[in-house]
Amino acid sequence: MEAGKNLSSSRPIKVLLAKPAIDGHDRGIFVLARALRDAGMDVIYAGLLPTPEQVVDIAISEDVDVIGLSLLNGAHMTAFKKVVDLLKERGVDDIAVVGGGIIPDDDKPKLEAIGVTGNYGPGTPLPP
Amino acid sequence: MDTRSIIEGIASHDPRIIARAISIIEEDNERSYEIIRAIYGMTGHAHILGITGPPGVGKSTMIGILSRKLTEMGKKVSILAVDASSPFSGGTILGNRIRMQDTLSKYGIYMRSVSNRGMTGGLSRSTWNMVKILDAAGNDFIIIETVGAGQSDIDIVYLADTVIVTLAPGLGDSIQAIKSGMMEIGDIFVINKMDREDSFFALKDIMDNVYERNGWMPRVVGTNSLKGEGYGELIRAIEEHRVFTEKNDGKKKIRYREEVRLALSRIIDRSVWREFGRFLENGEIDGYYDEHVDPNTVAMEIFRENSAFAHSHSVEGRVES
Repeated sequence: MEAGKNLSSSRPIKVLLAKPAIDGHDRGIFVLARALRDAGMDVIYAGLLPTPEQVVDIAISEDVDVIGLSLLNGAHMTAFKKVVDLLKERGVDDIAVVGGGIIPDDDKPKLEAIGVTGNYGPGTPLPP
Repeated sequence: MDTRSIIEGIASHDPRIIARAISIIEEDNERSYEIIRAIYGMTGHAHILGITGPPGVGKSTMIGILSRKLTEMGKKVSILAVDASSPFSGGTILGNRIRMQDTLSKYGIYMRSVSNRGMTGGLSRSTWNMVKILDAAGNDFIIIETVGAGQSDIDIVYLADTVIVTLAPGLGDSIQAIKSGMMEIGDIFVINKMDREDSFFALKDIMDNVYERNGWMPRVVGTNSLKGEGYGELIRAIEEHRVFTEKNDGKKKIRYREEVRLALSRIIDRSVWREFGRFLENGEIDGYYDEHVDPNTVAMEIFRENSAFAHSHSVEGRVES
């Protein structure tokens, strides 16, 4: 199945927001959680300090459509990749992975190449 | 994924397929009913624990500890936790998981966050059918956490075998305790946060106000979730009530009737609204607004003038189509 499996479904889009490393900067992800809720989505926040394994477990148990990963500590190349690898390992190919945080421009194409899209930074406008 | 492999996956307890099945159930459509029809024969084993109580008393934390203890006793446990959707956008922040994630990961307990989709009563419409999926998947216990509940959010009484009403010190005096609603539905009352000041007064207020209903005297238990105290007693109370419900199947019959009532009201709702919903759209009632007619009269007029139309299209016929 392709990512975006929920497009024809009557239930709202379900998003897991997570910070899969040692990073306590959660203000941004809270703002995002509220914006997505206000856009009518179901939003799960994984809490502080989940491991990539926990992120993937939650995504599968909750059958989410999208995983939104946020890191501001520079560990994105390691931690985002670990999440993507674990999804692949568990045979999950129908969950979209979107990144955000402090991500240098040089890293963005590398993340895109492993399937992490978006990679939004500070100042990204929220839906009105 | 086709319906047959979903049903086989549930029967073989495959967690990923169970997760997908619950999503289909959430859509609450013809396909979800087909799955329930197919697995209904496999249900009836699980004991359903309903955890309810006001927001912030520690329901999620309690479920984390309770599910761990039950798992350590060799029981298979799954959890459904319901949170309220926004009445404005329909979106939901599902936050119960944070309080129990470490336990869930360590013990491999299945937990699913559920949005109430605007339904009052503390549950979502599809919670009943989600429970059936988890029951068919071989769980011994299914723990349901309601929305942080007020006095009248008592639907859990129709779904759970054992209702645990969770309270904390500082929620009010003995007058609060004798008010109707929540106090009438608990099979077990838990006063959480027993480390707090005045906790023993809260415990006593509840003890003084519980009374025997249908042959069961509700148990009152104090817990301290920070230290894990009181949970042995809580599990004993659950076990006693489980044995009690096995001998008295009255509650299961009431639940069955309630489920039929819910399903019926859903069918009636849908078919009736299909006929009458259009009167609220496209400026149909603007004339009444301009004439300043009171809303009750408008509703009655719409119903009276169109009920002949509704009768000629029989409700049963609509459901079949």
